[in-house]
Amino acid sequence: NALIGTPGDCQPCPCPDRSSCAQIAETGQVVCTNCPPGQTGMRCQMCEDGYYGDPLGQSGAVRPCVRCDCNGNADFNAVGICDRVTGQCLKCLGDTEGDHCQRCRQGFYGDALLQTAGQKCKPCGCNPSGTSGHVNKCHSQTGHCSCLGQVTGRDCGYCEVGFFNLQPGVGCERCKCNPIGSSS
Amino acid sequence: TRPDVHPLPPGTHLLFAQSGRIEHVPLEGYDMKKDDAKAVLHLPEKVIIGVAYDCVEKMVYWTEITSPSISRANIQGGEPVAVIRSDLDSPEGIAIDHLGRTMFWTDSVKDHIEVSSLDGSQRRVIIDSDLVNPRAIITDPPNGNLYWCDWNRDAPKIETSYMDGSNRRVLVKDDLGLPNGLTYDSQSSLLCWADAGTHKLECMHPDRRDRRKVMEGIQYPFGITSYGKNIYYTDWKRDAVVAVDRYAATESDEFQPLKRTKLYGITTAYAQCPSGQNYCAVN
Repeated sequence: NALIGTPGDCQPCPCPDRSSCAQIAETGQVVCTNCPPGQTGMRCQMCEDGYYGDPLGQSGAVRPCVRCDCNGNADFNAVGICDRVTGQCLKCLGDTEGDHCQRCRQGFYGDALLQTAGQKCKPCGCNPSGTSGHVNKCHSQTGHCSCLGQVTGRDCGYCEVGFFNLQPGVGCERCKCNPIGSSS
Repeated sequence: TRPDVHPLPPGTHLLFAQSGRIEHVPLEGYDMKKDDAKAVLHLPEKVIIGVAYDCVEKMVYWTEITSPSISRANIQGGEPVAVIRSDLDSPEGIAIDHLGRTMFWTDSVKDHIEVSSLDGSQRRVIIDSDLVNPRAIITDPPNGNLYWCDWNRDAPKIETSYMDGSNRRVLVKDDLGLPNGLTYDSQSSLLCWADAGTHKLECMHPDRRDRRKVMEGIQYPFGITSYGKNIYYTDWKRDAVVAVDRYAATESDEFQPLKRTKLYGITTAYAQCPSGQNYCAVN
C-alpha cells in the first residue's frame, strides 16, 4: 500500500524471478500473478497439473517440477495424473499400482515396467482345483500360484510327473504303475 | 475486490480454465478482444477442469480436482462458494440446465454422471454403467436432452439421454479417437465435438444423424464451446483458445495467454439467456 507514507509501503513481491504479485485488500494476503513456467500457487510453490516437485524447497531440498512419472501406465489424455508434490501416481492403468504404477496390482502378475506394447499385467487365474491359496493370489512377477501337494504349473493346473487325478483340496495321487510293465 | 481478479463487464464472453484461474475474453461480434482478456477468478492452489455458466443468476460454476469439489461464484466479483465437496474423485465436465435450475457433472474415477440442484442439494447419480473416461457433458434445456462423451481408448463414444438419465442411446461410436470436447448450439440444434485422437472437429444434428466434418488437422483439443457461426476450443499443444468458423471451415483466430500452460474447460457466457422454454416448465 503506497498510501501510508512510510519507507516500507512498497515491498518486493515474494515471488520467484521478480515476477509480479497482487495484494488482496481485505486480507492483506499477497498472491503471485505471474509464476515462472510450470509453477503455480500463491507463492509459485506448486507445480502445474501433470508435473510434480517442490520448486521452492518448502519441505526440504529444492525439487524442480518434472513430469509425472508413471512408467507409461498413465494416460496423457487424463487430468490429475499424479500428486503435484509427491508425484504419487493417482490414475494407474492396465492393472498396475504403486506410487509410480511400477507393479502389478493384487490378483495380477507380470512386469509393469515393460516398455513394449501389449498386456503388462495378466490375471493370476490360479486353477481352483490345484491351488492351496486364493485363485487371485500369485507371485507378482512370475505369476506362480501356491499349489497343493504334487500339483505343478504356473496356475497349478496339472500333476507332477508320476502323479495323476487332481482332486480339489487334496492334490494329486501317485501313479501305481507296475514297474515291470511300464516304459517309464 | 482483489486486484488480480476482475468482474465481468456486460456483453458476451468466453470463460476458460488455466492454471487455477478462470479467464475471460470478451467477444465483439465473433471476434475475441484479446487485449481485454483478464482473470475472473484466481484460485492459485487449485486445478480447475470444467467450467459452466448460469445465464440466469450470472454465476460461473467449475469442477476442481486437487481437493475434489464443485464451486460457483458470481461473475461480478463474488466470492467462490463450494456447493459439492463430498463423494467426488475426479469431477471433470460440468453443465447447467438454466431452465430446470440443475447441474450435471461427470466423474472420471467414479465413472458416473450426477445431477443436483444448483446449490448442491438433491444430488443423484443418473448414469453409472458403461462409462470408462467420461469427460465433457452438455445440456439442451429446451428439449430436456443431455449429451456427453467418453474418451475410453478402447471404445470412445458420444451418448445422449433425457435429463433424468432415461432413454440413453449411443449417438456416435465409429471413427472416434479421444473425443475430449462437446458443445451444443441451441440456435442451429447442432452438436459438435473436438477429437484429440482423430484431430477432427465434427458436427451433427442429433435427430438427423447427419454427421459431417468441419475441420481436419486440429492439434490437441480439450474443451470446446460454440457461439453462433463460431466454435472455440482450448488446445493443449498451443496452450491457446482457437476460433474456428464453422461455415468457412477455417481457423479464424487464436488467443494465446502469456502463461504457457494447459487450458482446460471453456464455455460461452451469454449476455442474455438463449430463448426457450423447458418441457417441464410448460406443465
